[in-house]
Amino acid sequence: MTLLSLKDVTKAYGGVPALKGVDLSVAPGEIHALMGENGAGKSTLIKILAGVVAPDHADIRIDGQPVEIGSPRQAHRLGFRFIHQEFNVVPALSVAENIFMGRQYPTRGGLFVDWRKLNQAARDTLQKLGITHIDPSRPLGSLSLGDQMLVRISSAFIGDDGAPARLYVLDEPTAALNRGESERLFTVLRELRASGASVLYVSHRLDEVMAICDMATVVRDGRSIDTRRIADITHDDLVTLMIGRRVEEAYPPAIAAPRAETVLAAQDLGIRGGRNVSFQVRAGEVLGIAGIANAGQRNLLRTLFGDLAATGGAMTLAGQPYRPRSPADAWRAGLGYIPRERRSEGLVLSRPIFENTTLPHLAAQSRWRTWLTPPREKRAASEQGELVRLKASGPGQRVRELSGGNQQKVVFAKALLGKPRLLLLDEPTRGVDVGAKFDIYSIIRDMAAGGMGVVLVSSDLPELIGMADRIAVMRDGAITDIVAAAGLNEERLLNLCYGR
Amino acid sequence: MLTVLRRYGTLIGFAAILIFFWISLPDTFMTARNWLNISQQMSMLIVAAAGMTIVMVMGDFDLSIGSMASLAGIVAAILFSFDYPIWAAVSIALIVGLAGGAVNGLLISFVGILPFVATLATLTMLSGAAFVVSGGKTISGRVIPEAFGNFAREGISLGNWGGVAVSLPNLTIVALIVAVLVWVLLEQTTFGRRLYAIGGNSEAAHLSGVAVRKLKLIAFALTGGSAALAGVMYASRVASANPTQGSGLMLNAIAAVFLGSTLSEHGEPRLLYSIVGVLVLGVLDNGLTQMSVDSYVRQILVGGIIILAVSTSSYTRRLR
Repeated sequence: MTLLSLKDVTKAYGGVPALKGVDLSVAPGEIHALMGENGAGKSTLIKILAGVVAPDHADIRIDGQPVEIGSPRQAHRLGFRFIHQEFNVVPALSVAENIFMGRQYPTRGGLFVDWRKLNQAARDTLQKLGITHIDPSRPLGSLSLGDQMLVRISSAFIGDDGAPARLYVLDEPTAALNRGESERLFTVLRELRASGASVLYVSHRLDEVMAICDMATVVRDGRSIDTRRIADITHDDLVTLMIGRRVEEAYPPAIAAPRAETVLAAQDLGIRGGRNVSFQVRAGEVLGIAGIANAGQRNLLRTLFGDLAATGGAMTLAGQPYRPRSPADAWRAGLGYIPRERRSEGLVLSRPIFENTTLPHLAAQSRWRTWLTPPREKRAASEQGELVRLKASGPGQRVRELSGGNQQKVVFAKALLGKPRLLLLDEPTRGVDVGAKFDIYSIIRDMAAGGMGVVLVSSDLPELIGMADRIAVMRDGAITDIVAAAGLNEERLLNLCYGR
Repeated sequence: MLTVLRRYGTLIGFAAILIFFWISLPDTFMTARNWLNISQQMSMLIVAAAGMTIVMVMGDFDLSIGSMASLAGIVAAILFSFDYPIWAAVSIALIVGLAGGAVNGLLISFVGILPFVATLATLTMLSGAAFVVSGGKTISGRVIPEAFGNFAREGISLGNWGGVAVSLPNLTIVALIVAVLVWVLLEQTTFGRRLYAIGGNSEAAHLSGVAVRKLKLIAFALTGGSAALAGVMYASRVASANPTQGSGLMLNAIAAVFLGSTLSEHGEPRLLYSIVGVLVLGVLDNGLTQMSVDSYVRQILVGGIIILAVSTSSYTRRLR
């Protein structure tokens, strides 16, 4: 007896396969873990269930009956409820309004919203999760991140007439919760299970999975690898299934050891929204930055790159005082930057590869800093393209037409054209397929061997351990530890991130 | 077939319009004299549309160019009445244009007001200023130096064509010079490249070291300056200035740039295509006037053509 069964789900984005064949079956009254590394295909699978993404091929059945999920509304009617980290909320509206958004508000005389009733209903909903400290009439934006997450979670548990909830899909629900809050959530999940509903639970926290889940399906590189009963499996078995190979093999080995000289030194550097940080990056060194989401990594990079003004302290770059007031200053001083969102921050998609590659270096790539010399630019872009193993029809091709991995290589080509002293990388392999990932790691190794300093921000812990020489751990806007990557394991690093 | 329609739909439509007028007006339309006449009629719009292209490349637009043109004409005329020499009066009018445009740029890039709101506000202010300075009256007659009015009437002789003396009007020459300058600026310099990058993705441009706010300010200043030049050209052509004479310029300039952008592969504005857009509007105006079509009917037709061109372009783009 299965509630939900998926067979042979495939999906490719612009020619790059995200799912190559996933099978999954969830029984009623079961908490089922969906496990896998970043980029394994979990989020694509969830989006397909949510009706947000259309699969290229899928056999989806509910109670043995084939169904199609063409829209989020349809997913809702089928009884699916979703809680993701990036849930849509309106910070300016009240807690109660956010919980009941998209649903019928209680009214007085069919015309005026009955705020008292709405707030009471919201209070009851929160009560189910054992939450009594949140006032439903407060604006959601005024709550702490953890409380906001609790509100988002609770909104999925509202009873619905017409379409009773049968499957809850939770994507990293505990990422912003403390232990007590997590425990309350688990209690609710167990109650749901007892009532016959099922839960598909996505989490990187193995301990949680081992504690509350009944079954686990592991996906890797777009395929479902195995489905096991949690009772029959150990923590380590699960890790082996997820990683599928020894961590070391996924990353090319370092070519040379870091050198003695310091490229960048930050002394009590004040980060907006964070605290003062001090650290150094040596020539040829890859300094990893770890931390849970929003621990201050992004603002740190932006401060180094001159996009955010430092609130104090000082930096030196290759021994010289370094005080960037804009990204333009940073490029001139010899920094290169790979932003987190390549489409919205890294690339001008409508323009050709060569224009993107030379944009920060136009003064050097033109005559008298004024007159464009496209042949020279194209030559430079082609050379950079070879360096980063870019696959494109030529430097004149529009970036929009490239795959995600190749687009990211254009961002690298752009950052590397000026031969920077220091390269800042913000999630450089996010949304990049496995082959391109390896290419990008090889580029980082080559650059480090050439004496470039590298700062690598990543939420992918194996990537940090595999690529970095040292790892600085950020928590609540401060650097709390700086540790050598050699001999570090994922679990230890995760514990450092959470301060345990 | 669809590709052809998408890329060349506007050109095909333009050719159809030309053929239609050629057949309907066999004696007068396809003559050198008429075309030189069209070029003169369009010269102000070419200058204004070239300026508008500069900001539209960044994905912005400037609603204030019409009232800026009116104000510049008034400023020049008022200065003439104080016996300023022509070069000085015209230069000051152009500086007013650059300064007004710079204010637009300041409001948009440094204060952070949307271009629609900022230039709508300056449109109103500039228009009010033109009325205040002129006292609401048309400035004409003796205060306007003869040489200033004559400039628009004269040109460079091109000799006799089929027994008729023809000359290239000075205003056409000015428009051509502006078009070449803006083309060089947008297509051949790092400045233009950066503007296109801002138009494609201003956040990515900023993170790539493009000084987005400074460039926006300069671009808006140039648009204001070209609007002022168009206003001065208009004043020269009619040897007078009144506070509303530039008012038609803004909508036509935006229309021309939009029409032109349907010709480019990715829908971005480009100077040469903007000129084609001006040509379409100018030829329509000229031909319909000759056919004695009512000017209000002309407005309906022009609006319809813009909708047709832009919708064909976006529809075929979607089908791809």
